[in-house]
Amino acid sequence: MKKYEKITEEIVEIAEKLLKENTVEKVIGFGIGIFTEEVTPIFISNPENADRLVFNSKAEMSLAKYLLNYKDQKVAIVAKPCDSRAIATYLAEDLIKRENIKVIGINGCPGIENNTACEECDIRNAVISDYTVGKKMTEEEIEAKLKDKEDKIEKMTPAERMEYFQKEFERCTRCYACREACYVCYCEQCFTEGNQPEWVGDSVKLNDNFTYHLMRAMHMAGRCVNCGACEMACPEGIDVRALAAKMCRSAEELFDYRAGIDSDQKTLLSDYDVNDTESGFME
Amino acid sequence: MNENNEFEPKIAAFLCTWCSYAAADLAGSSRIQYPPNIRVVRVPCTGRMDPFLIIKAFNMGADGILVSGCHPGDCHFLDGNLYARRRFVMLNEMMQYAGVEAERMNFTWCSASEGKRFAGVVEDAVENVKKVGPWQGFDGQGFSQEEGETTVEKV
Repeated sequence: MKKYEKITEEIVEIAEKLLKENTVEKVIGFGIGIFTEEVTPIFISNPENADRLVFNSKAEMSLAKYLLNYKDQKVAIVAKPCDSRAIATYLAEDLIKRENIKVIGINGCPGIENNTACEECDIRNAVISDYTVGKKMTEEEIEAKLKDKEDKIEKMTPAERMEYFQKEFERCTRCYACREACYVCYCEQCFTEGNQPEWVGDSVKLNDNFTYHLMRAMHMAGRCVNCGACEMACPEGIDVRALAAKMCRSAEELFDYRAGIDSDQKTLLSDYDVNDTESGFME
Repeated sequence: MNENNEFEPKIAAFLCTWCSYAAADLAGSSRIQYPPNIRVVRVPCTGRMDPFLIIKAFNMGADGILVSGCHPGDCHFLDGNLYARRRFVMLNEMMQYAGVEAERMNFTWCSASEGKRFAGVVEDAVENVKKVGPWQGFDGQGFSQEEGETTVEKV
């Protein structure tokens, strides 16, 4: 694929320049692992190593979370459009300082292999960036790439939906890969680990699995950018993204809110409007 | 189950101490009858309600939930219920998507002077939950009666 190679070239060029000029101490990007042929996150501080950076169709992980480890350092980060939204959310939540980071945004993201979220993606250009690589996609191009997929779960009856999710969550082994992959899940202590109160048991019983996924999805409300990293990370192939994706759709429908579009916006649940909808309330 | 072998739901009711809890009190002191199916949890404000409390109530065997707070604009803490409103709307959306019937989730507003309304709200909530029958749990295994009794009290 020509597109990926061109983006890689541009990333390497920018990263080399930034490191040589000492604008940043580190560049966080995708690279090929030393022992495996797989794409892993790499952290580059020597300009000579800048050519190790790559971008290809397997660059599935969200790098934004690593920014939290380098809060006080000047770092540059390679950001897919979804990662740039994640960074915008971090800025909105006041977790990182804008002046400390340089975003190398990927415009016209060609998508990630096997990631179903990419088919629903209607951003495809970096929302915040200091340097851009790739060619900016126009709205018509994005429109053409959008696959008109109907949500099969939405059409089911409540009992069928319950059965669907029971079947999915039954396979969950509570490895928390979805949590680790997710950029929203940065809490120092997760609700699953506390025991005062014990929100959810840590057994792999369906009851607890279901509760865990519901609670996690509730934390996603208004913050999830629908990047699909959780689904890609799941070793059991569970439809982890379904609940969070539903939250994204509902937030847009009911509150006209999208996470990570603007770095100044308040997050959905830390704000209110006097005329908010009361959909689902009793008469 | 009552004597006639009809389903009597257990509803975890989260009531704001400044309004709905007082409304329940008023309903009681005015001798207004309402179904005894609710188990009241007194909260300082609906804004204090973590959505997890509701998910956990279902996890532990409540057949339905009722959340009642001050009318928008009347919150003792000025805007607690306005924050809560968004949270409940989102929670409701998610729970319905996951297959929990809409009838199990009851949200409403009730001021301290609305004792009569509160009784009506409880009647409606009980009727709603009766419509969809006993809650089978997230694993679909159901809860035995005695077990349900103790767990709901713990919630």
